[in-house]
Amino acid sequence: MSDDKKKNNHQNDDQDMIKLIENLNRKDDVNLNRRAFLKASFGATVAIGLATTPFGVFSYMRDADGKVKRVEIADTKELAIGESKNFAYPTEDEPALLVRTPDDQYVAYNNKCTHLQCPVFYEHKENVLLCPCHKGYFDVNNGHPVAGPPQRELPKILLEVKNGKVYAVGREVRHG
Amino acid sequence: MDKKRAAFLSIFLFLAVNIVCLTKVIESYYGQEYGHVYTYMTVALLSTLFAVAAFFIWRKEEYKKSK
Ligand code: FES
Repeated sequence: MSDDKKKNNHQNDDQDMIKLIENLNRKDDVNLNRRAFLKASFGATVAIGLATTPFGVFSYMRDADGKVKRVEIADTKELAIGESKNFAYPTEDEPALLVRTPDDQYVAYNNKCTHLQCPVFYEHKENVLLCPCHKGYFDVNNGHPVAGPPQRELPKILLEVKNGKVYAVGREVRHG
Repeated sequence: MDKKRAAFLSIFLFLAVNIVCLTKVIESYYGQEYGHVYTYMTVALLSTLFAVAAFFIWRKEEYKKSK
């Protein structure tokens, strides 16, 4: 009798367990989770994709009013080799520096230091661009940082020398 | 079944493409390389379109089966 009872209990137990497992309805659960996961991923895809459009619109607006301007910045007679001159390009509040390098090349960069925006100077003796604030050094020939805290290159101003005049004809913020 | 699986997986591919494009767009926007902004934006929008198509294909297959 007691044996029988035990058996009964056991059977009941088992059935209860089966019920529990069935209640979980695992297959549906997994399916629903997978659906929800895919829907969330899809939503993220669309959101991220559409998030690129404002940048496109702003670029277009900036592009339209920042079209390549051609500005005369210096006379070739003005600068001896190893001298430099300040000017502003492309707008009045973007200071820039024109340098006539020892190998008689004209180069120009916006001279706001890419570290914390101090003005950068041309150091003739060492032939480097120097930011005195935290001793940042930039290569004269390409505007890339060579020592000190700056990590990014100085925006490069494209030049054209024609009929004894130096013109700024464009700008590359990121280059080489 | 096969089509459904392809659609399912491709959405993750498009998600990855969009993430890469968004970072590139932001990078080129602040680097003022506007040409790159347009290129990556186009890529992102195209991949979004494909993702929408893939999603609808998947949805059709998924809910057809459960009926
Ligand atoms: S601001 Fe130029 S090095 Fe810090």
